[in-house]
Amino acid sequence: MLRVVAASGRRLACGVLLAMCVLAPVASQVSRDGWMQVQPDRALEFPRDHWSHPDYRIEWWYYTGNLEGERGQRFGYQLTFFRVGIDRVPTNPSVWSVRDLYMAHLAVTDIDGGRHLMSERLNRAGVSWAGARTDRLEVWNEDWRLEGKDGTHVLRAVSGDGAFSVDLVLDATQRPVLHGRDGFSQKGLQAGNASHYYSLTRMETTGEIQLGRDSFTVSGLSWMDHEFGTTFLEPSQQGWDWFSLQLEDGTDFMVYMLRQQDGASDSHSSGTLILPDAQPVILGPTDVVLSPGRTWESSSSGARYPVEWTIQVPDHDLHLEVSAAVDSQELHTEQSTGVTYWEGAVLAEGTRAGQPITGRGFLEMTGYSGRPMSEVLR
Amino acid sequence: MNLFRWFIVRHLRRELLRTIVTVSGVAIGIAVVLAIRLSNASSVRGFEAALESISGQVSLEVFSPGTGVQEDRLSDLQWLSEFGAVSPIIDGDVMVRAAEGNDTAELVRVLGVDILRDRPFRDYRLVDQGSSPFESPPRVTTQTFLTLLTASDSIVVTRAFAGRHGLDVGSDVEMLVGDRRVPLVVRGLLGQDGPGQMSSGNFALMDIAAAQLALNRFGAIDRIDIQLDSDWVIDEAEAAISARLPAGLSVQRPERRSAQVETMLAAFHFNLSALSYIALLVGLFLVYNAVTVSVITRRAEIGMLRAIGTSRGRILSLFLGEALIMVFVGCTLGVPFGQVLARLAVNLTASTVNTFWVAAAATVPELSLTDVGWSLLIGVPLALAGALAPAYEAAKLTPLAAVRGEPDLSIRQRVSRWYVIAPLTLFVVAGVLSRQPPVSGLPIFGLGAALAVVFGAALLVPVVLSQLQQLQRWMPWMQGVEIVIARANLGASIRRLSISVAALVVSLAMMVAIAIMIGSFRETVVYWVEQTLQADLFISGARQSPVGSRDEISRDLEQVVVNFPEVVAVDGFRAVNVSYGESTIIVGSGRFNVLLEHGNLLFKAPRNGREAMAAAIGESAVVVSESFSLRYGVQVGDQISLPTPNGSKLVSVAAVYFDYSSDRGLVVMDEPLFDRYYDDRRPSGLTVYLRDGSDAVSVREGLLSSLAQDSPVFINTNASLRQGVLEVFDSTFAITYALEVIAIFVSMFGVATTLLTLTLERRREIVMLRLAGAERSQLRWMIMAEAGLLGGVSLGLGLIVGMVLSLILIFVINVQSFGWTIQFHFPVLFLVQSSLFILMATAVSGLYPARLAARFTFADLRED
Repeated sequence: MLRVVAASGRRLACGVLLAMCVLAPVASQVSRDGWMQVQPDRALEFPRDHWSHPDYRIEWWYYTGNLEGERGQRFGYQLTFFRVGIDRVPTNPSVWSVRDLYMAHLAVTDIDGGRHLMSERLNRAGVSWAGARTDRLEVWNEDWRLEGKDGTHVLRAVSGDGAFSVDLVLDATQRPVLHGRDGFSQKGLQAGNASHYYSLTRMETTGEIQLGRDSFTVSGLSWMDHEFGTTFLEPSQQGWDWFSLQLEDGTDFMVYMLRQQDGASDSHSSGTLILPDAQPVILGPTDVVLSPGRTWESSSSGARYPVEWTIQVPDHDLHLEVSAAVDSQELHTEQSTGVTYWEGAVLAEGTRAGQPITGRGFLEMTGYSGRPMSEVLR
Repeated sequence: MNLFRWFIVRHLRRELLRTIVTVSGVAIGIAVVLAIRLSNASSVRGFEAALESISGQVSLEVFSPGTGVQEDRLSDLQWLSEFGAVSPIIDGDVMVRAAEGNDTAELVRVLGVDILRDRPFRDYRLVDQGSSPFESPPRVTTQTFLTLLTASDSIVVTRAFAGRHGLDVGSDVEMLVGDRRVPLVVRGLLGQDGPGQMSSGNFALMDIAAAQLALNRFGAIDRIDIQLDSDWVIDEAEAAISARLPAGLSVQRPERRSAQVETMLAAFHFNLSALSYIALLVGLFLVYNAVTVSVITRRAEIGMLRAIGTSRGRILSLFLGEALIMVFVGCTLGVPFGQVLARLAVNLTASTVNTFWVAAAATVPELSLTDVGWSLLIGVPLALAGALAPAYEAAKLTPLAAVRGEPDLSIRQRVSRWYVIAPLTLFVVAGVLSRQPPVSGLPIFGLGAALAVVFGAALLVPVVLSQLQQLQRWMPWMQGVEIVIARANLGASIRRLSISVAALVVSLAMMVAIAIMIGSFRETVVYWVEQTLQADLFISGARQSPVGSRDEISRDLEQVVVNFPEVVAVDGFRAVNVSYGESTIIVGSGRFNVLLEHGNLLFKAPRNGREAMAAAIGESAVVVSESFSLRYGVQVGDQISLPTPNGSKLVSVAAVYFDYSSDRGLVVMDEPLFDRYYDDRRPSGLTVYLRDGSDAVSVREGLLSSLAQDSPVFINTNASLRQGVLEVFDSTFAITYALEVIAIFVSMFGVATTLLTLTLERRREIVMLRLAGAERSQLRWMIMAEAGLLGGVSLGLGLIVGMVLSLILIFVINVQSFGWTIQFHFPVLFLVQSSLFILMATAVSGLYPARLAARFTFADLRED
């Protein structure tokens, strides 16, 4: 059980984090009534479950990826849409009544240029200025949009200042990887503290990335997480480090580590290994060893993030050195969540069964800046 | 410089009383002009300041004429975000008060915003309870605001407002909206930053959803605020947005709203300023008098100075210097006094400004060096002009003449025929000018005509004075020896007297004219109110406001009224403000059939206005107020284009009716047409017609008791509403009266100093009279008679000129400024009373010179 929790914990935690940060002060006013609890016997069906689930309080669509331009320029991107329920049935008939809050984060890493750009959105639905449809995959926040079309997911977002944008088509024909028990992901020991959770771990991606006046035709791989639920685990750790990696041999790999409040990195690491054409393999805390290496200090937040890691999975004879594509990929979300965290493109290099192997992916690190996550989440 | 100190300053000190009179005259003149300038500025600036603190970083706003922007159109406007940040706004003025106790509600500007979008626009800072009011509180995070604003009963008020009403975070307040009470909870206090600094803290912040709920404004927002990205040039953005907006939506800069207010108030301010300058002119006469006195009393000294080689230029500059000293001191005293007057004026005009629908507290700006400089800029040239003639006469004196005491300054003059031709020419000019159209809404030519009449009358004064000799022929009973001598004396010093008398005539003429105008206006309004206010009861919302209010009367309340047994008909009035030309007009709706059957509009055109109005029912036709018709040159049968949320609509003008409720121009349409063009919002007021023979007072009581106990509606009976109308009227014109009274007092000073001059000048004659056996009391009576005669002549002339002026005011200036028809009415009682007062006052102003004359002795003669 714990394995399941840990394996699906990261994006969940991040979503809860974002939700709680926004909502903590509102908590007293958030109606906890009427939201549906996740049930284990609800089987995930597609494409229905790509769409929005407004009966559950929290939901997100999370896209990250590593892309390459025609001349080999390398980019990382992240586009995430969050929906957090506030008041399931508002009594005020105004269209501006806040039933849900919609948040979105957009980030692009220009790996060759060593630049990391980010932008955020926070809106109420209002007059359809933000929303998520229940009859097809369509999620939007102002002019940022995720749309499901003919076996693809189309992502479009332009930063608030127009300085950068993404316009991508992601192949979605891959079978979703269901986390936990057929996508039912138990989070806490209490029944009901759970979520529905699946991923598309390897989406062929093409499109354009615009940076300033330059526009790049890009292609590469994306990773998508979609998760929804109402009540969640309330962890008591300092923070976490989370990796999603796509290796060149077709293996996808997610690994996750919790850190204790005393700052010591413990070995409670877990993950999911998705071998090509095979069932996902759940990795328990003792199956993975994660060791931080070189650190980078953020000049704006003062936080020190390990930007080089060693990952070992002895059972599968996998050894990886993971390093940040660009050191400074810290996100400041003053406008939406007020939380500072690190999320960015990484490069992986190592051996599998003695053979050299490379890959790309994304790394998320929280709890290095400001209050411990456990306080934020409380 | 030494000479100046010895000759002028010492003298001013010795003749302290006279100096004080002159200096105060100048001070009052300056103060009045400054006061009007400041108060005019403050009423507009009050609005501007409120607008600025609320507009924050807004560069453009998208709105829909008359109504709000319908929400279903907003999703088609997402392209607006290509230009920058976009924030939907609910904006309203409502009454707010503490829920506990008998707190008095205050008008508060409520802004309903989506805080998630509004952060870049405005700077909101919440005050911690118990923190020092002097430290600037930190900017509030979005999260904090969400807490405050997501509950639909949340409101954030300013600390200033909270202080006045004994509120704190968590206190219950209620908002009075139309006939509803909306209970709310104070969730935070704003410091003095951003909108929180709005005058007197009459500002409240709500979430846009909560504001819609409280104000009952679902389905539409009031406007969309836009903050342009930095790479946009505002003109280009405005043009680009304007080109893309669908019909019925407009874009403008927030400043345009204050420009419209300025246009609305321009005529009112222009006329007040023109009046205020009369007080200044009177001040100019005082300077003339003072310097003249100074020259006369020191002829011998001037002679001495000339004899010891002082140049004429030096003498000239000495006396000009005297005038300068007085004007400097006058300005120094006048400027702070002007601010005090301005405060009074603002209080007096507050209700006026409110009737113009500028719902912003006006505060008089702090004095700046600019004001002092401005006063000097106006005062100094005037003082020099006033002093020039007597100073020149002093410089002209030959030493011999001065020492001999030849009465150079009172040469008997023949009145040349130019004194008849010039005034007549001016009167003709006035006649021509009064027929000219206004210049951009301002009665420039009309005031020119008034000025020509005033100057003509002033020039006529010498002729009139010269006829004093003939007085006995007209009034044989004026036989007393004192009067005969007084008459002769006056006739003998026409030139000197003319200026003082002219000053008094001008002031009196203005007073008479204004009295006649206001009196006529008041009578006209009384008549209009009697004729048109036919309904028995008038029901309005908490704001108790006339046209333009967004207060709404609920359907429930209307049902209660309609079902009341004595009620035979109910009419609802709704109104929206829409831009028209460079200003805003009011488009209102009523139930034409009810109005025709029970009401009584007074039609100006066509002759059969009622039939025309009846014919307008069911058509795209409107009736317009007289001021609208005049201001925009619209006649019966014309088509006008009204901006509506669905684009411009052509309507034809069926009739023009008399209206004195607003000078902004009213366009009234039948209810169904209004519903079609604007929206079917609830009326802001109800007029109720009762069965014949019903007692309005008891029906009112009955209605009030059948309404919910806590309903905040106001029900006026016909009588109380009429009284209310006249109260507003009187307070509107209070400041006009006040200005005139001040001008008259200043010119009284003028008469007093003139008499003083004359008396001093004629010391020799007076002593001779004493030698010839005149009693002291006779001398006193002689001077008093002179004063009385002066007063009488001035009054007579003032009355005649005043009547002519009043005609210009009523039929030219008023029509051009406000577009109202005023029936001429002569306020006999007021004029008789004030005439008597002025006669007495001028006679009394002769008291001091009279006592002085009686004190002259033979020694005075020998001295000369």
